[in-house]
Amino acid sequence: MLAASGLMVSGCGGKGEAASGTWREQMKQVRFAVRGAEDDPTMAKRWDFYRQYLGEATGLPVKVYESSDYNGAIQAIASGQVDMAQLAAGSYANADAQVGKLVAPILTVRQAEGAMGYYSAVIVKADSPIKSLADMKGRSLGYVDFNSTSGYLFPRSQMRAQGIDPDTYFGKTSFAGGHTQAVMALENGQFDAAVISVGGGNPVDGFTTGPIQTMARRGLVDANGFRMIWVAGPVPNVAFVTRTDRPQAFIDLTRGALAALAYDDPDLWVGIGQADGSAMTAVDRDFYADVIKLRAADIANRRAGGRPGKSS
Amino acid sequence: MRLVSVLAAVALFSAGAAEAATFRIAAVTGKAGPCRSLASSAPAGQLAYYKHLAGRLARDVQECPVANEADAGRALESGALDMAVLGPAAFEPVKAKTRSILTLRPTGDLNRIPVLVATRKASTRTSLAGLKGGTIVFAGKAAFAYGLPRRALADRGAGPGFFAREDVATDPEAAAARLRSGAADALVINAAAWQRLCRGDRPQDAACGDLKVIWRGRPRATKAIVVRRDIEDELRFRLIGIHVAMHLEAKEAFGWASSWIPKAAEFEPTEADALVAP
Repeated sequence: MLAASGLMVSGCGGKGEAASGTWREQMKQVRFAVRGAEDDPTMAKRWDFYRQYLGEATGLPVKVYESSDYNGAIQAIASGQVDMAQLAAGSYANADAQVGKLVAPILTVRQAEGAMGYYSAVIVKADSPIKSLADMKGRSLGYVDFNSTSGYLFPRSQMRAQGIDPDTYFGKTSFAGGHTQAVMALENGQFDAAVISVGGGNPVDGFTTGPIQTMARRGLVDANGFRMIWVAGPVPNVAFVTRTDRPQAFIDLTRGALAALAYDDPDLWVGIGQADGSAMTAVDRDFYADVIKLRAADIANRRAGGRPGKSS
Repeated sequence: MRLVSVLAAVALFSAGAAEAATFRIAAVTGKAGPCRSLASSAPAGQLAYYKHLAGRLARDVQECPVANEADAGRALESGALDMAVLGPAAFEPVKAKTRSILTLRPTGDLNRIPVLVATRKASTRTSLAGLKGGTIVFAGKAAFAYGLPRRALADRGAGPGFFAREDVATDPEAAAARLRSGAADALVINAAAWQRLCRGDRPQDAACGDLKVIWRGRPRATKAIVVRRDIEDELRFRLIGIHVAMHLEAKEAFGWASSWIPKAAEFEPTEADALVAP
């Protein structure tokens, strides 16, 4: 399920650790799970940087495990195979449903303008006759992944709030497997519309970040080849989570090192793909309470034999 | 970025000895005195704060009475204490040996986000000082587009009257258009809006290739938690990690520790010179 993308950082860890405090002796290493993002080359750079940075900050070897799907990172942190992870809200909610307080969010990103969330959008091809969700009745819709917050969990709850049952309204739905795959599937005509994340703006002023922009900047798609027909949000930003059964000194140090980064080295912060002017800010479970409720309802419905995501 | 070396970490926390070392915090009481454990009669919030820090740092935490902020700065500089809350005036004489690590974000306010000033690439105005008497344009009316950027400029001596004219455009695109047309000499914009403005949608796009950034900075902090510059990164990171989550984890401690501004929302990390406005 997981593939190690990094091993011991040279110059970090080693013989000094045993003498530097009992928490290091307990930890011995730091294992960090993330979901690989195939659409954005800065992600690989980001994970590699975090591996080195956290290694230097903690004085311990750091291994970054890149999961090919959402569930990999969720299960790794829930089972305690890793010490920390970066999870989207819905994925954290899934871990919370499994192990409760054993996994806790410690940081998320606050954007320069103060926003701490992003949005979910239904997109169509620019030349599509579909103008709104009303035109989507009986049509095909591509979701991202069952564990995706913006690409599945959140938009479905918002559709229900608007009187649309996403289980019966669309003619066909399926999972593309990722945001990039959802855009590509739409581009290739597999769906009439797809649900993806958008950010760097708001519904009034428009959006400047998301898989379409990332892919367009790599020359994979034309950003003007798509049109947004529906937006919901904001969805709470992605969380850094830790196992709470790890030493508090490790949690404090890690949280502090990550929070300091945008101020210590703003150029590097931007260089690893973070929005300029953004910074990490501390959060706790309450910040994700709404998504946790959504996920709990989804899980309860599945256990009751309902269709995935359908309200019971 | 300066990160602690393993050897430095070992020196500080060798065999747990330094883990148990005292951590000394300045307390401006109007009268100097020796560092001491907090009396049980101290305010409940202060007791909660010291207890929280002591538990998280695994160290004894002591209060060090000083007459005023300036004395706190000097004591910090000399190594007589480990942490103090200082304003710009008290920080200035000791800035070579001390640094800020944390400040407070008031409820409803922005972080101290970076602001930049851009001109046309061919402009002869190449510094903030060089814009004196010129025309600037802001990228909107909101606090993140006008209020905070204006404050950042004022902190650097470009207050009211510095510029001949200050315009406020409806949005970043309109502001950039005014700059490009020559209606303004410089665009004042927060870093995030600049990044969005200048990021094209295609690999070959260079949306701001005709412009150049001549200044970038954050608003000066009005007060900050200050430590010595030679602090090990491990201790600095732990102090930051403890403080940024204090409003969530130890509300009574946060209430006391944040009492130097009204309606504090949370601690925010800072760069080393957040109290300086060069």
